[in-house]
Amino acid sequence: MNSRKAIFDGIRAALSPLQERTSYPDYSAVIAEPQWLAGEADPKALFEKRLMTVGGRYFAAAAACARWLKADGATLLYLAPELAHLEPVFAADLPVTREYSRGLVDQIDAAVTLASGAIAESGTIVLSDAETPNRLAALAPWRHVAAIPSDKLFRTISDAIAALPADPNVIWITGPSKTADVEGILIQGVHGPGQQGAFFV
Amino acid sequence: MARQLIDTFAARLDKGVQKAVHDNSAAGTDKRYSVLGSDYGDPNPLRALAGAIKQHTIEHLDTYLEQAESRLTANGASVHFAATKEDACRATFEILKAAKATKVVKSKSMISEEIHLNDYLAANGVSAVETDLGEYIIQIDHDHPSHIVKPVLHKNRRDIARSFEREGLGEYNDDPETITRRARAYLRKQYLAADAAITGANFISAESGRMVLVTNEGNSRFCLAGTRVHIALVGIEKLVPRDRDLGVMLNLLGRSATGQQLTVYTEFISGPAPAEQPSGPREMHVIFVDNGRVETLASDCREILRCIRCGACMNVCPVYRQASGHAYRSVYPGPLGAVLSPNLAGKDFAKLADLPKASSLCGACNEVCPVDIPIPDLLLKLRHRAKEEHIPSPGTPPMGGFALLASSPSLWRAAMVAGAALDVVPKGAIPVPAMQDWLRTRTLPKWRGGRFRAWFRNHKKQS
Repeated sequence: MNSRKAIFDGIRAALSPLQERTSYPDYSAVIAEPQWLAGEADPKALFEKRLMTVGGRYFAAAAACARWLKADGATLLYLAPELAHLEPVFAADLPVTREYSRGLVDQIDAAVTLASGAIAESGTIVLSDAETPNRLAALAPWRHVAAIPSDKLFRTISDAIAALPADPNVIWITGPSKTADVEGILIQGVHGPGQQGAFFV
Repeated sequence: MARQLIDTFAARLDKGVQKAVHDNSAAGTDKRYSVLGSDYGDPNPLRALAGAIKQHTIEHLDTYLEQAESRLTANGASVHFAATKEDACRATFEILKAAKATKVVKSKSMISEEIHLNDYLAANGVSAVETDLGEYIIQIDHDHPSHIVKPVLHKNRRDIARSFEREGLGEYNDDPETITRRARAYLRKQYLAADAAITGANFISAESGRMVLVTNEGNSRFCLAGTRVHIALVGIEKLVPRDRDLGVMLNLLGRSATGQQLTVYTEFISGPAPAEQPSGPREMHVIFVDNGRVETLASDCREILRCIRCGACMNVCPVYRQASGHAYRSVYPGPLGAVLSPNLAGKDFAKLADLPKASSLCGACNEVCPVDIPIPDLLLKLRHRAKEEHIPSPGTPPMGGFALLASSPSLWRAAMVAGAALDVVPKGAIPVPAMQDWLRTRTLPKWRGGRFRAWFRNHKKQS
């Protein structure tokens, strides 16, 4: 018998003796919000605070980001084509390329890409294929900084879920890549960036 | 002296490993407790809600599975079904063969452990490299995960450094940062050379067909950035009805598993990458796997199918902390495993029927469970099943004597009086093995048997 039929027949047979079935609970998304959220009036300030809590870096503007990248030792920056207008800001501090290819994975040690949004509650950066088409470029470099459009800041996780776009791929990034697999010791920068930052545009 | 199998394993466990397992799982419990407390005060209403959403889902699984199938298909993914381990392995291999993929990178998937996928693929000429740091270490050591979230909880840095040296990843160096950097350098070459990525899935929303994958390391993202074919192996119970339910689950998963508000990378995948994208798999396959889940759904333990695999129950479990994950002799350890593993075992139930007995029924697992699974109740149901099926139970004391005493008032009265003899006989002379184990590190309090009966009798007279 084919697996699909076996599984569906099996599920129906398993459920048919149930006298009552649990109904879908009626709930408000507020139940999943942390209790401290109500006291946070300014989403931007909250995002900055939460980003730092999860080990990220917040920059007041692109220029501050450029200075930090240089000071942190970045040698070649990938600037997403969607942010071409920022090239003069970054080119003042370090070499910039707008091309990303697999051959450059070891050379490009910093990337600044356009985000599709952010979540204040959790300090999360939202990337989608539409705004950040090159998944590898925002992941492989040691340093990644997202340029977040100011009008795309969601207050809560639930708000961001309600606004998920019809994009085949959306990723939320909450701080730098990390592991605690070796003796529970926290190490940043496993497969993704060891430094994760953001600024608003 | 007959012992339960899990006790035998715990007794043989290396003291260093035992301490690592204990300390690491205790730290996990503390982090969970602290973040849920400061964020919610009382997280119980949220846990109850998540439990109700999942219970509703599994009790309407035919509807939601069909809905997920049609949404995923509409989104451009290919949906497959696998009733057994063999079906799941074969389906995975057929997809790889059709895509001419011989090199695979894998992002941590417990279900692929269940079906022994790596061995199957290797036998068919496909090399599959695990990319989660812990799973990679497990793979090069030909070992098995001892925790569902922290697979190498049972290894220390020296073990890992020796393994890396043996695999040619540099000279011996047991600094965790160096170990991580070496894995980073080695594994990114594997992602970029691979044809296909195999992942699990944390959730699929039936409403939209969105699949959610979470990792802290970013390995699943690298898999889906570097390869051209994505195969997701998904247990049929991994569904939620609506997208909004993902918010409830994600808020609980990270906090319960690792004390994080959200896991670092939370990826929502609803279909293959279009041709104009510079990266991302052009093919997406979802294989819904049964492998014992339908049978579990039909049983009186179906609540275990709510599980979202956070690992909080093993972190908090006093038995897990003493025995470590391998003592459970199955893919899923801890309280979750003690219920799920015997259920998934099907015809081999008897081989794992001892697991539900290795518990004091303290209930800590239920208290920490993000979907509020009544694990102690399920353990009792499985004990009952083992009894009904006459499965021998080495190491558990026979209760026939107690049953005899407890069902006869006069015998019970006599025993309460005779019990006072325990105050004077040498403790080594008590002929009950479990009692001897207990007494090795404890002293018996003075006998108080029968006091309650006396009190109760007098109490009634007064009123």
